[in-house]
Amino acid sequence: LLLMESFQLKDNIERVNKIKASLRLYQDDKEHTFEAKAVEESIKLLQTQVQLEKDYAQPFTGLSISSTVYKLITINQSNRATKVRGDFKMPDKRFWWIKLRALVEIRDWDGVATL
Amino acid sequence: MAIAAQETDDATNKPRFCLPDLFQDHGVEKIYHLQPGPLETDCKSLIYICRPQINYMKYIAEHIHTHTKDSRSGPYTYSLFFVPRRTALCEKVLEDEGVFGEITKGEYHLDLIPLEDDLLSLEWDSTFKELYLDQDTTSIYYAAKALMRLQGIYGWFPRILGKGDYSKALCDMMLRMRREMAVDDLDASQTTQMSQTIDSLIIIDRSVDMVTPLCTQLTYEGLIDEIFHIKNSFVEVDAALAGAAPAPSGSGTASSGSSAAKKKKVPLNGGDKLFGELRDLNFAVVGGLLNKVAKRINADYEERHNAKTVPQIRQFIGKMGTLAAEHQSLRLHTSLAEQIMEYTRSDDFNRILEVQQNVVAGIATSKEPEYIEEMINKQVPLVQVLRLLCLYSLVNNGVKPKQFEFFKKEILEAYGFEHIQTLENLRRLGLLTKQVTTKNPYSLVRRSLSLIVDEVNEHAPNDISYVYSGYAPLSVRLVQCVVQRGKNQPGGGGVKGQGLAGGNGWKGFEDVLRMLPGRTFDEKQRVDDGQPMSTKSKLDRIMNNDVLKNEHRSNGQPRISLVFFLGGCTFTEVSATRFLASQEGGQRDFVICTTQILNGNTLMESLVQKVPDLHATS
Repeated sequence: LLLMESFQLKDNIERVNKIKASLRLYQDDKEHTFEAKAVEESIKLLQTQVQLEKDYAQPFTGLSISSTVYKLITINQSNRATKVRGDFKMPDKRFWWIKLRALVEIRDWDGVATL
Repeated sequence: MAIAAQETDDATNKPRFCLPDLFQDHGVEKIYHLQPGPLETDCKSLIYICRPQINYMKYIAEHIHTHTKDSRSGPYTYSLFFVPRRTALCEKVLEDEGVFGEITKGEYHLDLIPLEDDLLSLEWDSTFKELYLDQDTTSIYYAAKALMRLQGIYGWFPRILGKGDYSKALCDMMLRMRREMAVDDLDASQTTQMSQTIDSLIIIDRSVDMVTPLCTQLTYEGLIDEIFHIKNSFVEVDAALAGAAPAPSGSGTASSGSSAAKKKKVPLNGGDKLFGELRDLNFAVVGGLLNKVAKRINADYEERHNAKTVPQIRQFIGKMGTLAAEHQSLRLHTSLAEQIMEYTRSDDFNRILEVQQNVVAGIATSKEPEYIEEMINKQVPLVQVLRLLCLYSLVNNGVKPKQFEFFKKEILEAYGFEHIQTLENLRRLGLLTKQVTTKNPYSLVRRSLSLIVDEVNEHAPNDISYVYSGYAPLSVRLVQCVVQRGKNQPGGGGVKGQGLAGGNGWKGFEDVLRMLPGRTFDEKQRVDDGQPMSTKSKLDRIMNNDVLKNEHRSNGQPRISLVFFLGGCTFTEVSATRFLASQEGGQRDFVICTTQILNGNTLMESLVQKVPDLHATS
């Protein structure tokens, strides 16, 4: 039942399909509403990442939400990062932590100062 | 002429194998590490020594295939030795690869590997995961086999005590093996005497005490393990740190010469006298001791100025060798300690430690969950987060539902959705659960076994709690219960040195034990047991049993208790057990057996779901 999602490999499209399959399994089971929601989120994330890969020609898939945001800031795409943050309703606290670390990483001291 | 291709890549590289001299004595020309890809060699006879794991079989098959394709290189002969025994699965893999017939197969019954005089290990690294997550009981079989062998050598253990379901399974298996032996070969089972030296075997199941491995170890050896990760009693450190000259006992280091130049493997064992002194101490006192030793060595060196006459000089030269070795090991440990110091001084370390101590002591504040949240936000390694979170959950008998959902969500978002599986693993093991009742067994256990000791003297410890600066590892406390009988209990007699075979076992601790997971048992073995009486683990029945007279009074020798940690133990627990022995004042020694050495990090790592890196190839 639960091992289905470990098959989420290789091709992105195939992955989405696989994840969807496991999503159905989770939804069938009332005890796994949390997992079902998480899997839904992961599909959304994957789709976002595929879009980002197209836009910036950089690998994004496989990253977590936090690392995605982090990476966006490091390649100077703060606006896009804020958008991703909004899409996934990331708590403020974590977002600012990420932003701070990312800005330090790229030595954007002006950015840090304006936080 | 032969080559031994031995597997080393994942930690099964045993110290015994690290003695190339021993191999050379038997005509071994070269030693290779078993790895994928073709094996280039000009030797014609190959010996493989490895664990029965499928990927190793694949490597071997690959070697053979490349050799047969390459017709120039003449016929090879292959032998394969499984440690500790062959499995049908591996043979099937070899068959499928079409190389089954070309290999002479054998078994090398290397089960318990002595890491130390008083520490034996199966070095079966995945035991914990296999046993508790996959519920694969192979390792229990290995453990039972190994213990039977010990019994074959030392005689039957008069008494077997234990706690936990898998401990019970292990005990049952041993008793069954003995009955089987009696059927097969009556003589052998009759001739084996009751053990004179080992009077009891205490089996502690890892699932009984999950709190201990999750705490940060604070003994010297434990900290080395936490930071540098000790593998089979070797630790890898920067070569610069270990000094330019060869490390203390040079025999072991040579074998790793081929591995990276930057890293250097240094053996850590009782052979190094200084380390023997330091290993079990709380780190807080290590610095002072190192200083003392340094002064002493310096003084010894200074003696040369006093050496005037020829015999005096000769005497000094004679001492030089040991002095240099001591110096060498001092240098190693000073630099190790320095690095550890750097680590322990860091804010993060201290905050984690503080949170840990509060959590195990049951001081509930809102700070702990907050700190865990902050850790997630800072993206510290997942293993650390989980370690603390699981500790929190264990001690509080679950995380409050709202927090539980929150943390799960946070972890997934911060570390990736593949960890749905990780969280599920943890849940199945009961490490990370949702709080359903407010009843909390841990706090009761803590109180009745006095796991938290407020005043700890790290310099002159008087209780095992010194190893965690205030927290006494539950597992070792249980051992102490059996051996010392209620030393810390009101009304407990604490009769020291009483023969364990006749002792009261768990008596007096039934209430506490009932609160811990798993069954409790207490079995006795007799010489004339053709059919060993297997007293069912009903506690009350055992209590009514007559106190079995210890027939074989050991004559002044310290009696030995074998302590078996099923599912692994930490170095700190080893230290604490040693400390117990020292408290017994020579009356009793402990020999520790375990399936593997672990710490909180390795424990968590084995449970974290791994995803292949998608961009590794692209």
